[in-house]
Amino acid sequence: MTDLEYLKLSKPAKLIFRIHQFFKNLPGMAWNGLKGLGLAIARLFGGLGKSVADLVTTFKDGDWKTRLSYLIMGFGSAARGQWGRGLLFFLFQTVFNVYMFMPNAAFSGCYYLGKLSTLGTVETYKEGRRTVYGDNSFFILLYGVLTIFFILAFIYTWRLNVKQNRISEQILKSGHRLKSTRDDVKSLADEQFHKTLLALPTLGVLIFTALPILFMILVAFTNFDSTHQPPGKLFTWVGWDNFHTLLSTDTASYGNTFSQVLLWTLIWAFFATFLNYFLGMLVAIMINKKGIKLKKMWRTILVMTIAIPQFVSLLYVSKMFAADGLINGALMRWGWISSPLPFWTDPHWARVTIIVINVWIGIPYLMLIATGILMNIPADLYESARIDGANAFQMYQKITLPYMLFVTGPYLLTSFTGNINNFNVIFLLSGGKPLSLELSGNAGYTDLLITWLYKMTVNDTNYKLAAVMGILVFVVTAVINLIVYNMIPSVKNEEDFQ
Amino acid sequence: MKKVLAMVLAAVMLLSVASFAAAEEGFSGEIKIWVAENTVDFTSQQVEAFKAAHPEYANMTVKIEPVGEGDAASNMITDVEAGADIFSFAQDQLARLVAAGALETVEENNAEAVKAENDAGSVAAVTLGDTMYAYPMTSDNGYFLYYDKSVVSDPSTLEGILADLEAAGKNFYFEINSGWYQTAFFFGYGCELTFDTDDEGNLVKMNASYASDNGVAALKAIIKLTQSPAFVNGSSVSNATNLGAIVDGTWDAGAAKDAFGENYAAAKLPTVDGVQLGGFGGFKMLGVKPQIDDAKLAACDALAAYLTSEEVQIARYNAVGWGPSNLNAQKNEAVQADEALAALGAQLAFCAPQGQYPGDYWSLATALGDDVIAGKYNDADDAALLEVLKNFEATCESYLNK
Repeated sequence: MTDLEYLKLSKPAKLIFRIHQFFKNLPGMAWNGLKGLGLAIARLFGGLGKSVADLVTTFKDGDWKTRLSYLIMGFGSAARGQWGRGLLFFLFQTVFNVYMFMPNAAFSGCYYLGKLSTLGTVETYKEGRRTVYGDNSFFILLYGVLTIFFILAFIYTWRLNVKQNRISEQILKSGHRLKSTRDDVKSLADEQFHKTLLALPTLGVLIFTALPILFMILVAFTNFDSTHQPPGKLFTWVGWDNFHTLLSTDTASYGNTFSQVLLWTLIWAFFATFLNYFLGMLVAIMINKKGIKLKKMWRTILVMTIAIPQFVSLLYVSKMFAADGLINGALMRWGWISSPLPFWTDPHWARVTIIVINVWIGIPYLMLIATGILMNIPADLYESARIDGANAFQMYQKITLPYMLFVTGPYLLTSFTGNINNFNVIFLLSGGKPLSLELSGNAGYTDLLITWLYKMTVNDTNYKLAAVMGILVFVVTAVINLIVYNMIPSVKNEEDFQ
Repeated sequence: MKKVLAMVLAAVMLLSVASFAAAEEGFSGEIKIWVAENTVDFTSQQVEAFKAAHPEYANMTVKIEPVGEGDAASNMITDVEAGADIFSFAQDQLARLVAAGALETVEENNAEAVKAENDAGSVAAVTLGDTMYAYPMTSDNGYFLYYDKSVVSDPSTLEGILADLEAAGKNFYFEINSGWYQTAFFFGYGCELTFDTDDEGNLVKMNASYASDNGVAALKAIIKLTQSPAFVNGSSVSNATNLGAIVDGTWDAGAAKDAFGENYAAAKLPTVDGVQLGGFGGFKMLGVKPQIDDAKLAACDALAAYLTSEEVQIARYNAVGWGPSNLNAQKNEAVQADEALAALGAQLAFCAPQGQYPGDYWSLATALGDDVIAGKYNDADDAALLEVLKNFEATCESYLNK
């Protein structure tokens, strides 16, 4: 299709064409990705090979100080007068050795690493009335992963230590002076200041973000649940079993429930995002209209919902709609209904109720955002449109909406993702209920993936399935984000409004 | 950066090399206790009394934290090592706790005493297979009817109660989507649903007769109840509005007295179509966590036994109104005069002691209840209902630990 043909298409046809293109390009993109990965691996091995070659030449060409540094880290640096560096290298090596080969074998890195493949084999037993705990699978997994991190860090540092020697030798050979410890410290506050600043954050990210994520991913491949609970019980690797349990549609598996919950999660995210978006914009346009009086008062009334903490207002509203709540009570007293409306007990009612209540919470935010942006649209655009004879709807469609979408495109995307994981609203309003015999795994009709995950973790201590679910939630959000991100106008037509 | 990491690691390693205190007479370390919030003060008084009576334990520190019975079990299972040494929980959590390795067995001499001094139901409730895992503390975890005397003229039939309440425009609270309250109907109609456990807390066998004519009759009675305009699903007096009658337990006696005022009354559960509603008789108990130190274990055993003894159970009734499981304490005058406990006593005659249930049973029962309330079975015929109950049983059976 040529560009001209494309431009002739109607809006929906363009969208369909783009989606079609996306999926058509998907294999190519995947192939490119794989190729990139392959190249990266090849480069990694190439780099490794070069490193090894470099190590050999350094050893051959180096003096005895350099050679001894292969065994005792930091010796070369120290012997050449760089005490600070030498000491740090040596300290690191000592700590590493102590950790790996600690006298109390049960707590050394080697112990954890050795048990990592089985996650422990020694069962807890009794000695008289006393309990003697065996292996702790949880710590073996955690420290095992940490030990691998540590070993990689050690190899990197050891390599750095060797490289240092070679560089020092070259500098000395060329007749220059080496940096003293004092120079090193000074440079950490000067041209190396970025390293000083980033040391702590990097360590934090590694320990508090990277390690837990890796740990959780690994849990998805174990049978860690309420009947395999350390320290009393062991858990072990089970491969892809948990994925099979969650995704397959055998009778004992959760596949049907999972697809039901996933579908509702997507429907919910769609409505929670776009219904709020358009209604919020509408309210903002109405309040912004010339001739509307008391603009500030209307805005204040709407913003009040933001001022009250959500967990207070949501719990209260949830109670209001209950069978014995305010709304049913009032309707029955007025004689409009004879039995309570099933706001929370009927699956369809519950879903609609949640979406509607969420509109009430969401409109004020969107109204505020939209008000700011609407005021920014150049008035002359509207003026010329009016002169050309455009009506209100045409102006909205051709000026307001494109402008809004352009500015708020990224916001829409993040709020869609946010709504997929919108724990608060669902949990506080319905708690995922009503449950049903037709759903397995204790899921309810209004459960999102994220609230189901919460129930699995907190109520059922079913960590293995919760970990799988966490991975799948990531996959779902990542795929949707990638597709939508490439379609929003802010990315596609960057220059439109500049 | 890596150096800091290494040092942190080294410190962690050093800390985790636990030091073992030498076993000696008595115990002077720290013991952590979890009890329900309203019994914290009571428990700390009793602990002081215990220390006064046992000089060898006078130096130990006892830390008492308010953790409710439901949370205590979940928290213990989540992290046994950080959990309390002695904790209170309801008997439905027993198998779960044992399976997670969070309960030590009761010391032999204490077990003999427990067997001799407590009612049979509570002893059965703390025992899995042949092994006793906890100390019975109360025998009052059942439900019965609180009602408004001025509205309900005769609390003996459900039909009568509903007719009175509908006429007065008041609500009847019954938490039909709870696996606990639901059994009032099924057990009352003669159905059975129990699980056999082995000594390790694994559920090995299910005995069920829900999928039967009795089960269908019970389910139909439930469906009929939910269709009454007076019916509201719930079992908490403090959350109720327009309250006319409620099926609830002794823990809400105070709230019920406040809500009904002069018209407060309690009775056993009513009959439906001439069938007496049944249910669960339940118990609260104290458990001891497995210990790696003999001296500490001995101290925990002694303290747990003391906190569930006859005198302390009577004192607990007087302080917070919990009905005792100790046979002698049950004969105490004050206990015998309690209206709510009397109603419970009358109801317990129709109840089975609550055994062990898989954690998923409760959610499954909620699912059944939710389906009924949502009206899914309003038009279902007997065959369809039987099919529902068959599925229910099959799913229950799938929860067994194989």
